[in-house]
Amino acid sequence: MAPRTKKLINQPATILSDMLEGFAAAYPDIVRLTDTGLIVRAQPKAAGKVGLVIGNGSGHEPAMIGLVGQGLFDVNIPGEIFAAPGPGRILEGIKAADHGAGVLVCVSHHAGDLMNAEMALELCEMEGLEKVEMVVLYDDISSAPKGHEPERRGTAGLFFTWKMLGAYAETDATLAQCKAMAEKIRDNTRTLSVAITPGTNPVSGAVMFQLPDDEIEVGMGVHGEIGQGRQKLVSADQTINTLLPPILEDLPFRAGDEVLVFLNNSGSMTQMELFILYRRVAQRLQEAGIQVYKTYIGPYATTQEMAGFALSLCRVDDELKMLWDAPAIGANVRIVQP
Amino acid sequence: MTITTQDLRGLITAISTAIAANTTMLNALDSQLGDGDHGTTISAGFAAAAEQMVVAVSPFDVLRLTGMTLMNRMGGSSGALFGTLFMQAATVVKEVETVSLKQFAAMWQAGGDGVMKRGKAAPGDKTMVDALSPAITALHQAAEKGETMEQALQAAAAAAEQGAKDTAGMKARYGRAQYVGERAIGHVDAGAQSVALMFSAMYNYWKGKDDGEA
Repeated sequence: MAPRTKKLINQPATILSDMLEGFAAAYPDIVRLTDTGLIVRAQPKAAGKVGLVIGNGSGHEPAMIGLVGQGLFDVNIPGEIFAAPGPGRILEGIKAADHGAGVLVCVSHHAGDLMNAEMALELCEMEGLEKVEMVVLYDDISSAPKGHEPERRGTAGLFFTWKMLGAYAETDATLAQCKAMAEKIRDNTRTLSVAITPGTNPVSGAVMFQLPDDEIEVGMGVHGEIGQGRQKLVSADQTINTLLPPILEDLPFRAGDEVLVFLNNSGSMTQMELFILYRRVAQRLQEAGIQVYKTYIGPYATTQEMAGFALSLCRVDDELKMLWDAPAIGANVRIVQP
Repeated sequence: MTITTQDLRGLITAISTAIAANTTMLNALDSQLGDGDHGTTISAGFAAAAEQMVVAVSPFDVLRLTGMTLMNRMGGSSGALFGTLFMQAATVVKEVETVSLKQFAAMWQAGGDGVMKRGKAAPGDKTMVDALSPAITALHQAAEKGETMEQALQAAAAAAEQGAKDTAGMKARYGRAQYVGERAIGHVDAGAQSVALMFSAMYNYWKGKDDGEA
């Protein structure tokens, strides 16, 4: 067996608890770690507002622990590394997020995330918790063809949903309205990713996939799932030239549209590279007559030290622009207008 | 011949021991198609379930506690599916003190049906179903022929092992492995191999038990 890739951890079995304890100790003004391993807001939302909750595999930080806070999630249920939490834990998270107006359980579309959330909703029904809804989110155009959108994976573009849905759930919006808003943002978002070098599973210490030095993988998922195919490593400009057209065609985004642009750092991409990549994105969008409303560049969903990025676009109207500009104060995601 | 609560507790413990002994092998299988942690995850799940056996006082208890523990301890797709297997199996033995071979087969049938429904997977999709489904058929056949529990488990273990082997030739259509596409061919599915280990552990347990009695 290959030796473990170098990582500064204590032992594989305590990665999750060690990380959560450190995270909660670092941001006591924003989050609190409960006895049952939930990350909740330090100051709960006012009664009468819809609670937003998500369960997910850990190892993708800042997703999702770093997105608990004002204008974002109420509760995160962090699972083991790359494994969604079980239904019993999701049920606890739902109860913790309930402020009287119901709870929306958000699911980033992956088999494990979906099955465990479905079972948690069955538990809610058995316990007589009525105001609980689930919304399944997806954005990765490489994982299923156009016309089969619900089969697509949830990847970096869900960041748009968390940000704007989070702002919406700070208003007096109802549970049904929140669900509809999540679907609206989802249906206007498209994403495509590129991996350059692999990440390591921190539990096993093994490299997650093999990629030759002169190749990249287009459409890589957040767990190293294979995408559309391997291509030769080319320049940053050429990479964007490959990536952007299929995203634009898929929705489609058209001349005159206004968009938010997000470049997600998959782990060990440098800011330098991301700015070089974004330069070309901005040029190409201008050529296409698509106006950029705001841009966000940084890590949201990472895959350990995987080098690569996701390019995500969301078409916005006045309502979404207002929600994007509302304050979001999570430990690792802070959007406040100057 | 009947299967008692104590027998069922023994079967769960035997499964836990066998899975633990094969952790590295299961991780290696999973690393071809997934995260490479299936062995670690399922070992931890069954170890936690085996610890619960002291408080299980009925066949229903044994299966329900195992299912719930697997679900919440493992998480992910495998926790949902292996948990569902035992939770659904439990529904067949509500309010019984002992289990007949016919009920034992019905139990796994309900579990397997639950897995297929939950995971929306069918035989041929390169999942645990490909080992589970032939094992269940073997149990039904043994029950109809009036065979012993040992004979039934021997046939089920052989069928599950063959089913797991057959997944090597399949292209995944489900879960994380589906994204590996053609590259999946040639590799055995780790979930199917875990099911094969479960049935061989149950067979070995029963064989040892009968030897002890003889």
